[in-house]
Amino acid sequence: MNLQKNTAPSLRQLLSIEWMKLRHYKAFWMITGFFVLLLPLWNYGISNGVMKLGPGNDLNLVSQSYGFQNVWQNVGFWASIFVIFISILTIIITTNEYQFRTHRQNIMDGWSRLSFYHAKWSLILALSLGTTLYVFIVGTAFGMQYSSLSAFPGNIEYLLYTFILSLNYYGFAFIIALFLKRSGISIGMFFLYSMIIESMLVKYINWQTNSSFGNFLPLQCSDELLPFPIMEMVKGILVGESTSPTATTYACVSIVWIAVYYFVGRWKLLKSDW
Amino acid sequence: METILSIQQLSKSYGTIQALKNVSFEVPAGSVFGVLGPNGSGKTTLLAILLDVLNADSGHYAWFGGSDATVARKQIGSLLETPNFYHYLSARNNLEITASIKERGKDDIEKVLQQVGLLERQHSLFQTFSLGMKQRLAIANALLGNPKVVLLDEPTNGLDPAGIAEIRGMIKTMSNMGITVIMASHLLDEVEKVCTHVAILKRGELLVSGSVNDVLSSDDRVEIQSEDITSLQTLVQQFPNVSQVTTADGFVYLHGKELNLAQINKQCMEQGIILTHLVHKKKNLETKFMELTQITE
Repeated sequence: MNLQKNTAPSLRQLLSIEWMKLRHYKAFWMITGFFVLLLPLWNYGISNGVMKLGPGNDLNLVSQSYGFQNVWQNVGFWASIFVIFISILTIIITTNEYQFRTHRQNIMDGWSRLSFYHAKWSLILALSLGTTLYVFIVGTAFGMQYSSLSAFPGNIEYLLYTFILSLNYYGFAFIIALFLKRSGISIGMFFLYSMIIESMLVKYINWQTNSSFGNFLPLQCSDELLPFPIMEMVKGILVGESTSPTATTYACVSIVWIAVYYFVGRWKLLKSDW
Repeated sequence: METILSIQQLSKSYGTIQALKNVSFEVPAGSVFGVLGPNGSGKTTLLAILLDVLNADSGHYAWFGGSDATVARKQIGSLLETPNFYHYLSARNNLEITASIKERGKDDIEKVLQQVGLLERQHSLFQTFSLGMKQRLAIANALLGNPKVVLLDEPTNGLDPAGIAEIRGMIKTMSNMGITVIMASHLLDEVEKVCTHVAILKRGELLVSGSVNDVLSSDDRVEIQSEDITSLQTLVQQFPNVSQVTTADGFVYLHGKELNLAQINKQCMEQGIILTHLVHKKKNLETKFMELTQITE
């Protein structure tokens, strides 16, 4: 039995254990339930003209934006705001481990530190895929209502951007939780950064450098992938093509940030005491 | 005897405080090994390093003669400091997670819950448990998956006297099943009743380690008395094995190694001194412990 080989558990095994931790957790069901309800209801409200846009009914922006052509960008944009809830869920799930000291127990019971870390990443990946899948379902439902199926898939690359954005937000939330360890302060920092600090930094950097470099900040680079669609359409009509970085650039920058979260978190977990 | 764990020169400091200083010892297979020391002596730090929860600054350890650490931990049941469970999950759901991490079947969950008397409460949430029940669940968790080693840090914390006796019984049962038990405690009485081996730590330093008998019998004490104390005192000083003679409360105390009562009685008799009192005062762990920890003060 000496020198037995260590076969690290697969991501699937890790994910199934993460699922055991979550499936009876009320906060998990409440927060995902909230996201699941809010996304279609909100979009339903907007598509039914709760939010009036444009002068009169001459320019029917709303129905244009919910046809298959633009629905992915549109629903994706609203999802990019509501991912805040799943980000908070990610923080709570992570800080729970510290609060209950189960991060230690998992290791003591036989996980390596890296397995613990990868288990959480597998969950983040699953949450991102789930978010994307749900945007796809909601988008398809609206698309079929506002356009014919022949228009499918339209600008479906926005679905990929939704995935990248989700992974970026959840990964960012995870790293904050990993460093701060307490749920209250982690959620506070997450809001403070995402809502205030970053938007100020973006404006400041862009103004100082007279460029779009500020848009490359961790969360902003993904926000740039899913801009407010009606505004974009209006902007497109008014000013024509812009010179800002392309979506591909923002996607690449987002992926770089996600990799940075991964390696910073990994370095932190492997070197520190638990 | 086969060695289940060997520790070499482990050191660890927190800032300027050195929690462990070059600690080395070995744990033989099948022993009940007590790690003793006052609060803050480094017991928990040591166990946490052995479970990869803390990183040592220097030195190393090997489980099962050098098995991969994660493979080793899957065969070690452990309880460190506090019972660590998901508060919102039931006892059973919590144990299912451990069983999955250990890559063992879930079939012995009921057995271990039965062993700690929590089977009826298996579906209750952990957060509804009392301190004693949490501690029991932690012990059930440690017993899951037929471990080769069970490592317990202050296992009787929070338990009432009946619970303490029960744990003691369980440790003996585990030992009879061939499980090596490593237990940290500051309750000497508890350790003395169950342990076969001890290591005594003080301020991060290993004072002594070995089998309980070796540690305790290195120094014997015999209490004697006779009508004529003065001649008794003069006589016994010439006895072999006696390193020191003291008197107190009308008794004469002989200190030394491997003192033989029959021999002492015979020798006194031969010199015409009749003993009215002859008792072998084997040191208990507490006396030994106090002595050791105070000498280095």
